[in-house]
Amino acid sequence: MTPVIAANDLTKAFPASRRLSDLLRGHRPMVRAVNGVTLGVGAGRALGIVGESGCGKTTTARLLLRLEEVTSGSVLFDGQDVTALRGKALLPFRSSVQLVFQNPFDALNPRFTIRRTLTEPLRNFGIPPDQQDARIREAMARVRLDPAEAYLDRHPHELSGGQLQRVVLARALVAHPRAIIADEPVSMLDVSVRAGVLNVLRRARDELQLAAIYISHDLALIRYVCEEVAVMYLGRVVESGPTAEIIAAPAHPYTRALVAAVPVPRVDQDRGALPIQGGLPDQVNQPSGCAFRDRCPLAMPRCAEEAPAPRSIAPGRMAACHLV
Amino acid sequence: MASLLTVRDLAVHYATAAGPVRAVDGASFDVPAGSIVGLVGESGCGKSTLGRALMGVMPRSARIAAGSAVFEGQDLVTLPDKARKELLWRRLSFVPQTAMNALDPVQRVGAQLMEVLTERGGLSRAAAASRAEALFTLVGLDPKRLRDWPHQFSGGMRQRASIALALALDPALMIADEPVTALDVIVQRQVLDVMKELQARLGLAMILVTHDVAVVAYACDRVVVMYAGRVVESGPVRAVLEAPLHPYTMGLMNAFPDLERAGGELVPIEGSPPSLLNPPKGCRFAARCPFAVARCAEDPPLVEDAPDHHAACWRSAEAAALRPQAARAETWAGVVA
Ligand SMILES: Nc1ncnc2c1ncn2[C@@H]1O[C@H](COP(=O)(O)OP(=O)(O)OP(=O)(O)O)[C@@H](O)[C@H]1O
Ligand SMILES: Nc1ncnc2c1ncn2[C@@H]1O[C@H](COP(=O)(O)OP(=O)(O)OP(=O)(O)O)[C@@H](O)[C@H]1O
Ligand code: SF4
Ligand code: SF4
Ligand SMILES: [Mg+2]
Ligand SMILES: [Mg+2]
Repeated sequence: MTPVIAANDLTKAFPASRRLSDLLRGHRPMVRAVNGVTLGVGAGRALGIVGESGCGKTTTARLLLRLEEVTSGSVLFDGQDVTALRGKALLPFRSSVQLVFQNPFDALNPRFTIRRTLTEPLRNFGIPPDQQDARIREAMARVRLDPAEAYLDRHPHELSGGQLQRVVLARALVAHPRAIIADEPVSMLDVSVRAGVLNVLRRARDELQLAAIYISHDLALIRYVCEEVAVMYLGRVVESGPTAEIIAAPAHPYTRALVAAVPVPRVDQDRGALPIQGGLPDQVNQPSGCAFRDRCPLAMPRCAEEAPAPRSIAPGRMAACHLV
Repeated sequence: MASLLTVRDLAVHYATAAGPVRAVDGASFDVPAGSIVGLVGESGCGKSTLGRALMGVMPRSARIAAGSAVFEGQDLVTLPDKARKELLWRRLSFVPQTAMNALDPVQRVGAQLMEVLTERGGLSRAAAASRAEALFTLVGLDPKRLRDWPHQFSGGMRQRASIALALALDPALMIADEPVTALDVIVQRQVLDVMKELQARLGLAMILVTHDVAVVAYACDRVVVMYAGRVVESGPVRAVLEAPLHPYTMGLMNAFPDLERAGGELVPIEGSPPSLLNPPKGCRFAARCPFAVARCAEDPPLVEDAPDHHAACWRSAEAAALRPQAARAETWAGVVA
């Protein structure tokens, strides 16, 4: 099955904040925020991207959405390379691949009614006015804001956080997208309402056969919404595959640490000692060889010399470590 | 175990133009010596207000309207300012909700630690310097980093530094407001492990404010569940998490994704908490509770339903029968109009 949306060896380098000494030497240090990422997701499937803060999750999403120019590599939509598209030529892609913002309080214009918020994208994508109302009602029903009349003429401050996040999702759905990319879709919401929004996301994905990408640093949440997961470390995918298998038997030492670190809501959890050391290394001067080696409890001399190539370790499973 | 802190019917109100906000409205719980007590509840239920009131660090608009908080035999509510100042840092200390607030951005981290040790603790500079190094080591920071500025620290390092600051004068109780919420899971786990080790090594008691029941399950001995300014359930962590007596606690447990448990729909608690400006009469959870009955129009008192396990619900005696119902999404759907 051709993925609806895919990244092929994507790389993004940003100029790092410079020190005076660098300027004097004419040195231009770069941060490789995304460093050779390949992934993809098919219709009706959901892929999670997990990893520590700063590992490149949001940058990957922005590259996939064509909100950021790639340094190298390509973005594929239905197998077609869309990396070079600009301006008007991008419009069909923009309506087909929608972003769900993290913070519902920032994502919505406080002066717009919900109706206006939902009409805006329809107008941008050239949906005729006589079809707009039906689209809006359909989207509101999908996100379980029923009846729509009760909400459409309200302003954002008249809705709860969970309701606002559903409006943000409805705004992504009115365009009839083929894929949605959600960056930390529930991190700003209270625990009691998160579950409702996650359920809505999951149902919309199933009913509309959307290809979905969820970004989160919470593996428990990813497990709940995504059958597949890609684990990122310092701009690279270090392990990917079915979420349940990876949680049950993580192959990469970093994934092992990530799984071991997640607390579970039960007493007597014997989580063992955390198999990792230190914090994220300097992003500009990354270690030679395996980028994880200065924190890896299993690092060996070879890890300093040679970067581990991604290897297939089981059907649908990949890991990049000399030991797998 | 002996109670280190005994809070009874504590009420903290904020004066606002629209009237008093009853942010904490009758909170009762105990902190036994040497134990870690998790304080959970959703955003706005009064956790930070409670923590700050115990420390006596409140905005001017806030006042303690009722109740007592007896710490090592002295009531923090009626204690004169001077006596309270004596206790702060030495016996009772605080890690604020945003670690950045605990650290002064224009002072090196080590200098801030030295200031607490010399000025409040009365240590000589030499003694303070070696204590500062010991404190950094204790929380898992390299003493070399004492010379750093706060902005040179990552979020996790700042959190550790503010814990070091709170521990400087060897208190008996540390109140930590959301110490791990903004952190990545790996760093979160490292900070929680530091806290558990401090408990084991120093016999330090802690109130750990969080909204994450998984964090409570991992790190706490006891848990206090708050809802809309009230304590609705409290007790040993096993009793409360495994056999919750209050429907809100049941809902909280079922709304949580569990890394090790597959499948099933998560069960949301529909609706949102009431305004604390005009809290509803009777049980404050009634509007969202699938088990509400006529009697819930009256206020349920917090009572000891099982040994050491308190709950404020008229139907807590039926909890065993309500729990399986609370695990089903249909039970909660449509409760809120
Ligand atoms: N516009 C930019 N200019 C310079 N550096 C950037 C820019 N955007 C991101 N970066 C850097 O790229 C790296 C990856 O950032 P990114 O936001 O993708 O991480 P993330 O995984 O989404 O983190 P978080 O979990 O904190 O959201 C970081 O080191 C970040 O500082
Ligand atoms: N200075 C203030 N003046 C008026 N009301 C306030 C003030 N500070 C807090 N409140 C209100 O008091 C209630 C309790 O707030 P508090 O900060 O204690 O909640 P919390 O449980 O710590 O929430 P969170 O999980 O979001 O940190 C909230 O309804 C809040 O809006
Ligand atoms: S390649 Fe070496 S350093 Fe990298 S994860 Fe594997 S064992 Fe650890
Ligand atoms: S007292 Fe009534 S409304 Fe309140 S939690 Fe118990 S059953 Fe529900
Ligand atoms: Mg991000
Ligand atoms: Mg708070």
